[in-house]
Amino acid sequence: MSDKNKIPEVDIVVDEAAGVIREVKPENLRSKKGHERRINTTIYVALILISIVWLAPFVFLVFQSFRSYLTESGAMVNYLLPKQWSLDNYVWLLTDPSSDFLRWYSNTIIIALFCSVLQTFMVLSVSYTLSRLRFKGRKLIMNVVLVLGMFPGFLTMIILYFLLRQLGLTQTGAVPGLILIYVASSGMGYYISKGFFDTIPKSLDESARIDGATRAQVFRMIIMPLAKPIVIYTVLMAFMAPWGDYVFASYVAFGSKPNYNVAVGLYQWINVNDYQGYFTRFCAGGVLVAVPITLLFLALQKYYVEGVTGGAVKG
Amino acid sequence: MASVTLEHIKKVYDKNVVAVHDFNLEIKDKEFVVFVGPSGCGKSTTLRMIAGLEDISGGTLKIDDRVVNDVEPKDRDIAMVFQNYALYPHITVYENLAFSLRLRKMDKEEIHRRVIQAADILGITEYLDRKPKALSGGQRQRVAIGRAIVRNAKVFLMDEPLSNLDAKLRNQMRAEIILLRKRVDTTFVYVTHDQTEAMTLGDRIVIMKDGYIQQVGTPQEVFDTPINLFVAGFIGSPQMNFLKAKLVKASAGYEVDVLGVKIPLNEDQNAVLTEKEVASQEIILGVRPEHTTVLFDNAENAIECTINVNEMMGSELHLHLSSANNDKIIVRLPTVDLTKEQRASLVSGNKLYITFPAKVMHLFDPATEKSLIDS
Amino acid sequence: MTDLDYFKLSKPQKMLRGLGSFFTRLPKGIANGLKKMAGGFVSLFKGIGNNLVDLVTTFRDGDWKTRLSYLIMGFGSFARGQWGRGLLFFLFQTVFNVYMFMPNAEFSGCYYLGKLSTLGTIETYKEGRKTIYGDNSFFILLYGVLTIFFILALIYTWRVNIKQNKISEELLKNGHKLKTTKDDLDSLRDSQFHKTMLALPTLGVTIFTILPIFFMILVAFTNFDATHQPPGKLFTWVGWDNFNQLLAMDSASYGDTFRHVLLWTLIWAFFATFLNYFLGMFVAIMINKKGIKLKKMWRTILVMTIAIPQFVSLLYVSKMFAADGLINTFFMKWGWITEPLPFWTDPVWARITIIVINIWIGIPYLMLIATGILMNIPADLYESARIDGANAFQMYRKITLPYMLFVTGPYLLTSFTGNINNFNVIFLLSGGKPLSLDLAGGAGHTDLLITWLYKMTVNDTNYKLAAVIGILVFVVTAVINLIVYNMIPSVKNEEDFQ
Repeated sequence: MSDKNKIPEVDIVVDEAAGVIREVKPENLRSKKGHERRINTTIYVALILISIVWLAPFVFLVFQSFRSYLTESGAMVNYLLPKQWSLDNYVWLLTDPSSDFLRWYSNTIIIALFCSVLQTFMVLSVSYTLSRLRFKGRKLIMNVVLVLGMFPGFLTMIILYFLLRQLGLTQTGAVPGLILIYVASSGMGYYISKGFFDTIPKSLDESARIDGATRAQVFRMIIMPLAKPIVIYTVLMAFMAPWGDYVFASYVAFGSKPNYNVAVGLYQWINVNDYQGYFTRFCAGGVLVAVPITLLFLALQKYYVEGVTGGAVKG
Repeated sequence: MASVTLEHIKKVYDKNVVAVHDFNLEIKDKEFVVFVGPSGCGKSTTLRMIAGLEDISGGTLKIDDRVVNDVEPKDRDIAMVFQNYALYPHITVYENLAFSLRLRKMDKEEIHRRVIQAADILGITEYLDRKPKALSGGQRQRVAIGRAIVRNAKVFLMDEPLSNLDAKLRNQMRAEIILLRKRVDTTFVYVTHDQTEAMTLGDRIVIMKDGYIQQVGTPQEVFDTPINLFVAGFIGSPQMNFLKAKLVKASAGYEVDVLGVKIPLNEDQNAVLTEKEVASQEIILGVRPEHTTVLFDNAENAIECTINVNEMMGSELHLHLSSANNDKIIVRLPTVDLTKEQRASLVSGNKLYITFPAKVMHLFDPATEKSLIDS
Repeated sequence: MTDLDYFKLSKPQKMLRGLGSFFTRLPKGIANGLKKMAGGFVSLFKGIGNNLVDLVTTFRDGDWKTRLSYLIMGFGSFARGQWGRGLLFFLFQTVFNVYMFMPNAEFSGCYYLGKLSTLGTIETYKEGRKTIYGDNSFFILLYGVLTIFFILALIYTWRVNIKQNKISEELLKNGHKLKTTKDDLDSLRDSQFHKTMLALPTLGVTIFTILPIFFMILVAFTNFDATHQPPGKLFTWVGWDNFNQLLAMDSASYGDTFRHVLLWTLIWAFFATFLNYFLGMFVAIMINKKGIKLKKMWRTILVMTIAIPQFVSLLYVSKMFAADGLINTFFMKWGWITEPLPFWTDPVWARITIIVINIWIGIPYLMLIATGILMNIPADLYESARIDGANAFQMYRKITLPYMLFVTGPYLLTSFTGNINNFNVIFLLSGGKPLSLDLAGGAGHTDLLITWLYKMTVNDTNYKLAAVIGILVFVVTAVINLIVYNMIPSVKNEEDFQ
């Protein structure tokens, strides 16, 4: 799609009677160019508008997080730029004894780290097996997973809560409990990485097996080194997901404030508490969560794009 | 160095699609056998069953005298070259060659020696530290073959190894495989859809169609005495011409009647037909282009044809003709001896005359498609 | 009409014909499906029959090792030197026996199985200050289900154990060697590698997905709700009552609310899928048009919404639209309005706001996907179209759109069912509000089935209805999937892609 390969945009006159392409009308070239320029200008205007709409909330969020809590207000106000820029909110979040923010943050990081390792392991095992090994019951497993996937996830919330409670993994044990829940069934999300494995030629496995490798060695020595993009994609997805989970996290940690993750904690500030007082603190917390995640994501964007587009095309 | 024996080998997919029916073949030690046939004939499936990449649905497969039906590929001591090379993209050529040896926990020095030797044979020494991506198609193919060479495996399997190469490179690699075979001197099973490859490489050729073996024989045998219409048409280029004709049993012996031209059969042919007690009947007459003589003027026993297309091949012309009852015929005509007038007359619509002796004729029964003489 | 005449038809005629043939095929399709199901049942019973026959003949023809294995699992394997397999079989049987017949009745499988039909009869009561606990219906149901799973697993393993004996006997008779335990272990890295790889995921899915779903399906047939909460109270089987309540046509029960929520769920899924799809494609085409510079920057700006956790972005945006949020306060400051706009308080406003904000969320995904596909459309298609004299719009309509639709057909399907269950957007933006007195079960005007289910579970602890809603969501999803799968061929054959 680079400009170098650009095909000259010209009018072509087809002489239908003779069935040949007659000529290029040079007098059309100029107006064509003007037309082209008008279109491009329109697109630029549209794209700039889109960018504003897409970025505005984040810019506002950042502005409000820097509003001084002490001299102005922690509530929502009818102006955007802080009258006095300050780090009040951030300082409060990170240092105030009544703020559990750091605790929540580290809870979430722990969950995310564990999930990114364990989930990746689960997902890759399942997707590799279903993509490249042929065995009795393979189709059955895929169909069962398909059917199970049609049940809404929250249906089983109470029973999962109960199972965790039996294991002592609720409230104070919420962090390992959540890791367990996230990881246990993660093998069901194998579709995208299976799609990736499907594109690696089968003859590589066959060749390696003839060369003397067991299937386990094929997996370890041949396929895994080639699967780097999908490994990174899976790790990235598994790392990001726990940051946004409110439902299970709030249910499992119910009432045990120090064991919330950031999503639950901040949600409670803004919805359950008197959010007017906590609004700018929410903004500051949001910034602290969003900035590292966004940077990580943008750095690995390439792999994400490969994953989603590949997944969408494969279905 | 081993023999491979296939007894009643059968492959069935999904319980009802039969890919290979009752395949029987004994491949001798150090023999070079080529499976050839159109796509979907079961040749690759058979090869993959020998390799252990496909389950065998029925029958017995032996390498030497060991039954290997349920043996994993890695324990069969075979090497295989794939059509798409199947080089490991993430490691260098050297590591590609050494991969199988390392898995076998071979001594480092020995690995090095073998890799260097194989690279030397194939002329890829200077590429050893490159990744496969940085190689051309021909070089990749060499690496793939090299990976098989280092193994000293009992059996070499090759699955259409040349079909991803362009025509020129293919001819060159074909010659190299002949040389290679002399150097490694082991049992080869080679799959191709290209009859030229089959003819030039094979000690024996196995011609397959729709999962059945059609004929097994040396290149000369399958060329000279095809046992049915399919083999006759498949082997040889340009293809054998087929004409509608009649076999007539006269008092002096059998003769073939093509469009009123009567050609008596020779002694050997007569003997076979007499023994089989073949009656007069409609037949399909097969004659190879290279066995046909082209005449510019009518003569006794010559068949009149009309020129459709004249293809210039350089040293010779391929003329596409049609006979009076619309059989399509191709003949080859060397250009050296043609006069200017003769050349000028070879245009669409003009007449030509062809003759051929009895000994080059192949007689097929239209109903069974089998050769009346050679089967 | 012959097949060739079809090409002469105009577009509407073709569509009409297509629709007609879909409906004429429908009865046949249903009949085929039923036939397949019937065939499945027949072969199932045949299978059971064959297994029984095989069990008898194996016992009759087997040696004493095999016969003893009918009673003590794994004995045959042990006796023939395959101690690894034998040990596994034996351990499984032992664990099963211990679980079923534990001396402490409160924990044994038999105990729970026995109570499963009533879910408990002994009420909890108070004796003075002390609470005497009776039966716990929740435990009974849960462990009852677990016990049934366990029994089925045992039957299966027992069958495998006997089959193994038969195979071993045959192998030995034919002079073959049996696999040693070392062979078995080795095979886990090679021919049985799938077992190694799937063991842990299967275990996880069984315990944390299959078992819970089973349990919840059963809950849908009980009266487990706020007034029947163990351990204080018992709950019991009520048959189809809950389904009747939810599907009733009168407004006294939940019927009206259910239809209301279902309708909005489908409307929402439709708009969320297709609006995003076309707008996302449109944005992608703009960004990827030749001559547009800074492609990467535009893309990155959009992708930010994917990167930032939704609870930050959606909660913030939700507050922006609140009555005292940025938008309303600014509009009032500028004098455009005197009263705050009812973004979250008027049902119609709320629904439209949600759909619009969801565009903000959805376009970046679609833009990425569409970009990937646009790059893959062979350039010669456009070149030949241009030589044929097509203009930009014609090329879009005749090449880009059909290609996109063809390739993303499966994606549209998953996206639609995904939107039916799109909890986050609704929950974080409106929380289902505005509420209404006309709606039962705490449902609001923007509640989807899934958020309603959540409210039922968390706020009302009305588990029985939550379970029914869950099952109905499954039914809706399954029906849509079935129809679409049968209409687009490209999703069916996975091997085609390999």
